[in-house]
Amino acid sequence: MGDQTKGLRIWRLATIVSVAFLAGLGWNAWSGRGMTLRANALIKPGEKLKEIPAAEAKDLLAKGALFLDARPLDFYKMGHIPGALPLPLEDFTTAFAHLEPTLRQRFDIVVYCAGYGCDASHEVVRMLRERGVAAVILAEGWPAWTDAGYPTATGPNP
Amino acid sequence: MKWLRHPAVYWAVSVALGAVFVYASYEKIGDPRAFAKAVYHFQLAGPSASLGFLPPNLLAVVLPWLEVVCGVLLIAGVWRREAAALTAAMLAMFVVALLWAVAHGIDIANCGCFTVTATDSDGRWAWLKIPGDLGLLLAAVYVAAWPPLRTQEAPLSAPATAQ
Repeated sequence: MGDQTKGLRIWRLATIVSVAFLAGLGWNAWSGRGMTLRANALIKPGEKLKEIPAAEAKDLLAKGALFLDARPLDFYKMGHIPGALPLPLEDFTTAFAHLEPTLRQRFDIVVYCAGYGCDASHEVVRMLRERGVAAVILAEGWPAWTDAGYPTATGPNP
Repeated sequence: MKWLRHPAVYWAVSVALGAVFVYASYEKIGDPRAFAKAVYHFQLAGPSASLGFLPPNLLAVVLPWLEVVCGVLLIAGVWRREAAALTAAMLAMFVVALLWAVAHGIDIANCGCFTVTATDSDGRWAWLKIPGDLGLLLAAVYVAAWPPLRTQEAPLSAPATAQ
């Protein structure tokens, strides 16, 4: 019986995994395309986007901050933060034109979307910045808000 | 099922499986940040308040390289069974992740399985990724567990001995 019929060799498995680890970490460090391993990959290196936790966002809401929902409109209708205005990334240009007079008067804007895998809030904040409107991001977005048991509203209106 | 242990069949399945994994790793290696977004989307390895960003980022950085290393080994025929075993482990993890996502209402249309840039806005056929991964898992288990016997010389065209 040939060599091929012998069992799997643990040291080979460990070697393959180790090579992948070293290659991955090396590529991340030296390719120029990597990321900071302990930081949010949705924020580009050197970018000054600010994320705030849900508790801080709730305090801001109590103080009258303006919340913007970057999710698709259907999600907004199903549930949103009370008082939040819809500014879906997919329809940013139209929605921004409608909201611009309001947004330009505010310096306490919080943008949120569907959670960690969602970067719509980051994109919306970038696009707002390009237009001279400052805003912060609700870290973990809508799930963080609902998981904390904070109030929500439903329907098409704020 | 003797034909399954024919070297040509074994070689073809190994090379095909390896090619799939090399292809799957290409975009992820090129844009690890975009792949990290896909990992975040699944919410299985974090990020979360308790885990932070390290586990999902590490997964996003290392997993594509494990895919490409295993893929190259499968194609080259070097440490083929070990590479297939690790490929099977990855595929089992992918299937669990996809099922978990479906069970939790997380869309799997843009799962980062093969691409991190294209957006599948339709998603009607996203469920096919689960049987697709199961098929690849079967292939990986076959390569890992049933290598051809060196002493076997059964030709593919010999039906009398193939059953």
